[in-house]
Amino acid sequence: MTRRGFRVLFVILVVALVCKACLVADIPVSENKNPAPVEQTIEQQYPQPQNITIDGIDYLQSQAPIGNFGGELVSSTIGEGPKTFNPFNTKDNVSSLMANTMYDGLLTSNPDNGKPMPKLAKSFSISPDEKTYTVILRKGIKWSDGKPITADDVVFTWKDIIFAGMGDTSTRDSLVINGELPTVEKIDNYTVKFHTPQPYAPFLMMLSTPIAPKHIFAPAVKKGNEYFDSFLSTNTKPQDFVTSGAFKLKEYIPAQRVVFERNPNYYEINKNDEKLPYLDKIVYLIVADLNNEVLKFEAGELDIISLQGSKVARYKTLEPHSNFKLYNLGPTTGTMYLSMNLNNRKDSNGKFYVEQVKQHWFQDLNFRQAVDYAIDRKNMVLNIANGIGEPLYTPESLNSIFLNKNLKPYDKNLNKSRELLKKSGFYTDEKGRLYDRSGNRVEFNLYTNAGNTEREAIGVMVKQDLEDLGMKVNFKPIEFNTLVNKLVSTYDWDMVIMGLTGSPLEPNGGKNVWLSDGRLHMFNMRSPQEGKKGILPWEKELDELFTKGALATKFEERKKYYDKYQEIVYHEKPFIYIYSPTIIIAVRDKFRNIYPSSLGGITHNIEEIWIH
Amino acid sequence: MDTLKYILKRIIQTIPLLIVVSLISFFIIRLSPVDPLAELKLNPSVSQETVQKERERLGLDKPIIIQYGMWAKSFIKGDLGVTSTGERVSQKLKERIPNTLLLTSLVIFLTWLVGIPLGIIAAVRWKTPFDRILTVLTSIGMAIPSFFFAVLLLIFAVKTGWFPIGGLTSPNFAEMSLFEKIIDMTHHLILPVFVLFTISLAGLQRQMRANMLDVLDSDYVKFARAKGLSETAVVYKHALRNAVNPMITLLGFEFAGLLSGAALTEYVFQYPGLGRLILEAVMKSDINLVMASLMMGAIMLIAGNLIADILLIITDPRIRSKS
Repeated sequence: MTRRGFRVLFVILVVALVCKACLVADIPVSENKNPAPVEQTIEQQYPQPQNITIDGIDYLQSQAPIGNFGGELVSSTIGEGPKTFNPFNTKDNVSSLMANTMYDGLLTSNPDNGKPMPKLAKSFSISPDEKTYTVILRKGIKWSDGKPITADDVVFTWKDIIFAGMGDTSTRDSLVINGELPTVEKIDNYTVKFHTPQPYAPFLMMLSTPIAPKHIFAPAVKKGNEYFDSFLSTNTKPQDFVTSGAFKLKEYIPAQRVVFERNPNYYEINKNDEKLPYLDKIVYLIVADLNNEVLKFEAGELDIISLQGSKVARYKTLEPHSNFKLYNLGPTTGTMYLSMNLNNRKDSNGKFYVEQVKQHWFQDLNFRQAVDYAIDRKNMVLNIANGIGEPLYTPESLNSIFLNKNLKPYDKNLNKSRELLKKSGFYTDEKGRLYDRSGNRVEFNLYTNAGNTEREAIGVMVKQDLEDLGMKVNFKPIEFNTLVNKLVSTYDWDMVIMGLTGSPLEPNGGKNVWLSDGRLHMFNMRSPQEGKKGILPWEKELDELFTKGALATKFEERKKYYDKYQEIVYHEKPFIYIYSPTIIIAVRDKFRNIYPSSLGGITHNIEEIWIH
Repeated sequence: MDTLKYILKRIIQTIPLLIVVSLISFFIIRLSPVDPLAELKLNPSVSQETVQKERERLGLDKPIIIQYGMWAKSFIKGDLGVTSTGERVSQKLKERIPNTLLLTSLVIFLTWLVGIPLGIIAAVRWKTPFDRILTVLTSIGMAIPSFFFAVLLLIFAVKTGWFPIGGLTSPNFAEMSLFEKIIDMTHHLILPVFVLFTISLAGLQRQMRANMLDVLDSDYVKFARAKGLSETAVVYKHALRNAVNPMITLLGFEFAGLLSGAALTEYVFQYPGLGRLILEAVMKSDINLVMASLMMGAIMLIAGNLIADILLIITDPRIRSKS
């Protein structure tokens, strides 16, 4: 009997010890609920590199403080790593990040103000009629294999790769103006002229597209499209890469890491006339998810990490006695929104995509505005992003240079919502349930992509907010690829929480979303056969604004068109914007020459970063 | 000769089985409302033409039965096709299979090396404190979910700094000498191997112990003892040979798990094996990659069972005479 007692005691002890171990592991993770505000780091203006000619070679000279050479920077990518290293065939962010580390374009954008800044080009000029762009290249600069970079490479890249439709054709597609492509011609070895059929403002920033070494790419282009798609794939030997950027590939280990080493022929020098980059290596670790990334950063295996709102408070308290520094880069460039399906058409079987009863609600501006006023954005910022974010009311992100600042924020206002609903004949019964004028209970499905914890949390809060109005919301997070299929192919959804990436410099990228026959015109998606069928007056206006906005070239003029488009969206509520999380990045404090900026991120000047 | 005929028969039997497996898998994947091009479609800067081009390249514009026919035709020819991003499936699998094999075979080797003797000893010393402690420990081993255990160990690694956080090699692996490389890989492998080892050891040890106890209780063992044979001869010559037969069937299943058994642990430890690759492929409905892995799993399972049956024919005369 006593022996059995001992045995039971022993098992209890073991279990208790295991539990205790879990408790101990949990304690540091728990964080204080009131987030310490991340104070704005004093933003230093980025000293833009200048052109300098030494012994007939047109270098770019860094104006940042001089540093020490050597060392490595370890960063990370989430997911399965790059799919290709061919800069003209990248269809995902990780691949383009890798390609852009190795290949420079003619221009790049200034991280502070978004204005074009020379890279491979020494200078550029635009003709008075705004249709001709003349680009002067640097003399005497070389590819990583020692061959000179000349106008032939530029003409080849644009004519034989981009305009010929090799690889990923999105650059080419976005340059077609009224069915015509721009042309490119070589004037002399270091001068190239581009002609656009009409003045076209987005073209200038397109010149940041990477330039390919002709002597490497020409044989691949000759072998046709299919070969080009597998050219410079992840199986290519690192020594076969010939690059113009600060770094070139050293090794790629699938599912583990990508390592870049310095390009000895890079054309940027420091103020001592020594060739950059300072760092010997950049390592990108391929990690599968955010949690692992955090663990790796805390174990010191990573030098840089982008933090989610919920982690910021803890890192803030750790910062004073740790070897990293937090940088606030401002709001993200993407947008997060709630959208209703405005589709009122039938599919090929004569069935409505959206039930007719629901159509009446979603088509009703009062209903959309009522939903908008019921949503408590500030509460979401506080609870989901832990205060690290800003409410959002416009389709352009908060750091966009085209943001319409006249569109004022407003708070949750349930009374206003109820008033608007009443105006459209909605009524509530004694239990507070909402019915429309024909007596139908207001009930619909709200989707988002499962696995995205932020959107799932928003969904729960939106559901609660709308239930305050008496609506019945069935919140259904579903798998990402399934959701997209609903949004852009089968159109059978009611309400959705989604996000889109955007550019803070160029609203024209959003034309696929806003043009009434656009491929991502989700809130009122038309199949290619339908064309512009059933276009709403304000959709028509958006079409016009986007066409005009792209063809105008003066910033002020474009701003006028894009301001108007934001105003229309602000009033018509096809998308109800929610909030922008703020990007907080932790970087080891041994790195110098860090000039964080909202537009450029933290490693835009990777060649100038050095280790103290 | 008979054995050879038997093997041939078994192999021919697998063909309809594989066809059914492939049909079911293919249709389930393709009929699920997962859009393989979702990421592309949600990128505002990608044009309709590009999406259409991709659809044609992946054959998504054709009826599903034709898609299956195309897949089956190239599969028979030994061509596994390309992934949705245009990389060769065979190349992708080739990158990962050695890593997964290294992990799983190491685990199987260690568990069998430790588990079988422990099972025998526990059975021979039935109801001694040694047996009891082992029972408690294996209960704990069986009760802890591998996922949870792996996460705990990762936190342990972060707090102590004694082990790397996942992966298989360090960033400066390429510059190491052979000896350093082996040390580095071992260092990375300790935690994942430990997780898988603890979990499968528990099952194996208990199985062996139960088999052994069964046999030790049988009449012929009593007879052998009565005959005055030494205890060692009774246990290791007579009892063990009979107790090990069910373990051979188990070995067949272990073989099937060589490529797929460690997926969860691989995921937590960021191990560059098949697990992560296949998981992502399923999420994105990357049909060729998923089909390749499913077929691989089916073939491994069939082969494992076949190997176990053949081994049984060799070790167990009773089965030999029946077949």
